[in-house]
Order: sequence, then C-alpha cells, then structure tokens
Amino acid sequence: MRLIFCITIIILFSFNIIAKEIGETEITTEDGIEVFQDEKYYLLKKNVKILSDNFNLNAKDVKIDFDKSLYDITELNAKGEVNFVSSKFGLNSISESLKFEVNIEKLRVSGKNSELITKDIKMYSDGLIEINNLSGDFKLEGPNSKLINETIFINAEKIDGIFSNIGDQKKISFLNVIDKKISYVKNNNTEMYAKKISFDNETSIIELIDDVVIIRNGEKIIGDYGTLDTKNNSYKIKSNNNTKVKVVIQNNE
Amino acid sequence: MNLFLHINKKIIFFFGLIIVFSFLIIIFSKQINIKNIDLKISQKILSNVDIAEPKFAISADSRKIHITAKEGNFLNKDQILLNKNVRFKSNDFSIETEQVIFDRNKQTAESNTKSLFTSKNTTIASDGFNIYDNGNKIMFYGNSLIVLK
Repeated sequence: MRLIFCITIIILFSFNIIAKEIGETEITTEDGIEVFQDEKYYLLKKNVKILSDNFNLNAKDVKIDFDKSLYDITELNAKGEVNFVSSKFGLNSISESLKFEVNIEKLRVSGKNSELITKDIKMYSDGLIEINNLSGDFKLEGPNSKLINETIFINAEKIDGIFSNIGDQKKISFLNVIDKKISYVKNNNTEMYAKKISFDNETSIIELIDDVVIIRNGEKIIGDYGTLDTKNNSYKIKSNNNTKVKVVIQNNE
Repeated sequence: MNLFLHINKKIIFFFGLIIVFSFLIIIFSKQINIKNIDLKISQKILSNVDIAEPKFAISADSRKIHITAKEGNFLNKDQILLNKNVRFKSNDFSIETEQVIFDRNKQTAESNTKSLFTSKNTTIASDGFNIYDNGNKIMFYGNSLIVLK
C-alpha cells in the first residue's frame, strides 16, 4: 500500500514537471536548433513538435522568425509532413509545407494533397491554400483545388473569396472561381460549368462567364454568359452573337 | 569501605596519562594524513590545470560574450579546454555547461556536454552547442527542448 502511494506520488510529480504550463510554448527537436541572431531567425531540425496554447504543429523542419528575442515569434515556416491543429482558429491542416504569419493570423499550406479543414468548410489543393483569420480572405490555387461545405462544391484551378463569421459559423460572402479549362460549382440541385464563376452574397447572384453550362432537374442549358439568382433559384443564359443558347432536356427514365 | 579508595592514585594518574597521549597521537596522526591527502589533491589539481578560473570573451561589433570557467587547459596555441561551471554571458543570453573547447583565434566555442541556454522568456536545453561567426550564430546539438514564455 505504501509502495503504491509512493509510486503514485512520483508519477504525479513527473507529470507535473513534464506538463506545459499555460501561456508557455514548448518546442522539441531531434537534431538540434540553429540560431541566427543578426538575421533574427532559428532553424529547428528533424521531427519538430510545437505545443502552444493556440496551436500544435508537427513537421520535419521548421524555420521561426522572431522580432526582438526568440520568444517573440513573427513567422513560422514548416516543411515535410506538416500537421497543424489550432483550437483558437478552429482548423486543422495537413500539407507538405506551411507558412504562418502570427501577427496577421495568415495561414498558407502548400504542396501535393494539401488540406485545410474548419468546422464548416473543407479545402483541398495540390497547389496552395491560404486563409487569413482576421480579414476572412481565402485562396486556393493549383490543380485539384476544391472547396466543399454543406451546400456548395467547387472544383477549379483558382478559387478565392471572403469568409464572414455568422455566429460561430463561417459563411462565404464573396467568391471568385477561375479555370482556363473549366470551373465546376454545384449548389444544392444545380450544377454549373464556366471558365469564370463569381458569387456575391449581397446580391445573391452567381455570375457565369464563358463556356457556360447549367444543369438542373434534367435540363442542360448551354451559353456564353449566365446568372443564377440563389434567392428565387432562377437563372438567365445569354450567348454571343455568333452562337445560340442551347437547351437540352434530358430524359431521366 | 568504598572500593575506589583501595585503588592507587598513581595508577589512576598514569592510566589517565596513557589515555590522553594515545588520544592525542590518534588525532595528530589523522591530521597529518588529512593534510597529506589535501596536499596530494591540490598538487594533482595544480598539475592538471593550466589556468585557474579563466576568463575570455568573444567580441563582435554588436555584442560581446564573456566566458568564465573554473578550470582551463591549453590543447594547443589557440584552443583551450574549459572545464567545470563554464558560463557564457552576453547582454541577451547566458549558456551554462560543464566542458567547452574555446578557440581564441577563430572566436568559436564548442561543447558536447548538456547545456542550458537562457534568455528573456526563453530556455533551451540541448546536448551541446557551437558558437561561431563571432557569436552571431549558435547551433544547439541533438535532442533539444525550447520553452518560450
């Protein structure tokens, strides 16, 4: 009984020593740290783990820029199997590389199979995904860029827009989608194809430019320019002078 | 009659004298031994240490790092092995360790013993370090732990 009590005390004491205190950031590396005092950065090498109140990060190598002293972190660049989890920003990401600008809360993940997931929105890309937590700006660039939430699915080479926080949810207030081949947006029961698609939440209008195709309820409408009003779910399609709007009614039976 | 009155006073006196002498001899001999040991140790230390409590500095335009230790031994013309309580101190930070090779010519310092770096709101524990480029660059070796407050 006495032995068990002693062991318990030792274990609790050990945990107390190991545990990170509130407000502290704990960084561990397997192959050391190189500090460049004049250049104001330090390199963390091999199997780096960062535990802080705002986020946890794992990566092969990390470069940290600082302002006055080592604790005064301004920018963080991580490379190799980067895993970033932030309770403060409500997001987690997996990527080949990551850049985090601490003061402006701007996060950029890049590389093949990059993903950034928040509570409401999932973003994927083989290029880069960028999100600014303060301004709400976001950007996806590169092949296989996708943005998915409860009501919308977007697939294009370049997607950028602005999130707005409504309650504890992130909603898209502005969206710009471009792909030199073709962009794809699926909203509720409507599928849209165009080289450029934009959406403004204030007007509730989705604008489609060049090689426009709208598919809904078995109808396929082809034209050069189109608008879709998300409030009343109506749409208009126009064509250039030399082409005509084409409607294909599909038989689903 | 009391039994103690039968004992000869002279015998008691001599017996006491013998005890006191033997006690003094023991103390005296022990003291000599301790002195010998102390002397041997101090001779040994003196014979192995080239510099007692050495002090050096790594100087750069923007900063100066003061180096102190308990012992120092010349490895060659430029390199000095600093031993015990080795401490690097600048305006920005301090590093403590047990053994360092300091190069006076190159103005570098390298250690392969457990080291503790301390600066404002920062501590770094590592398996050693290398200070180079006039103290501008510090490389911490092996498994390292940084705690930022």
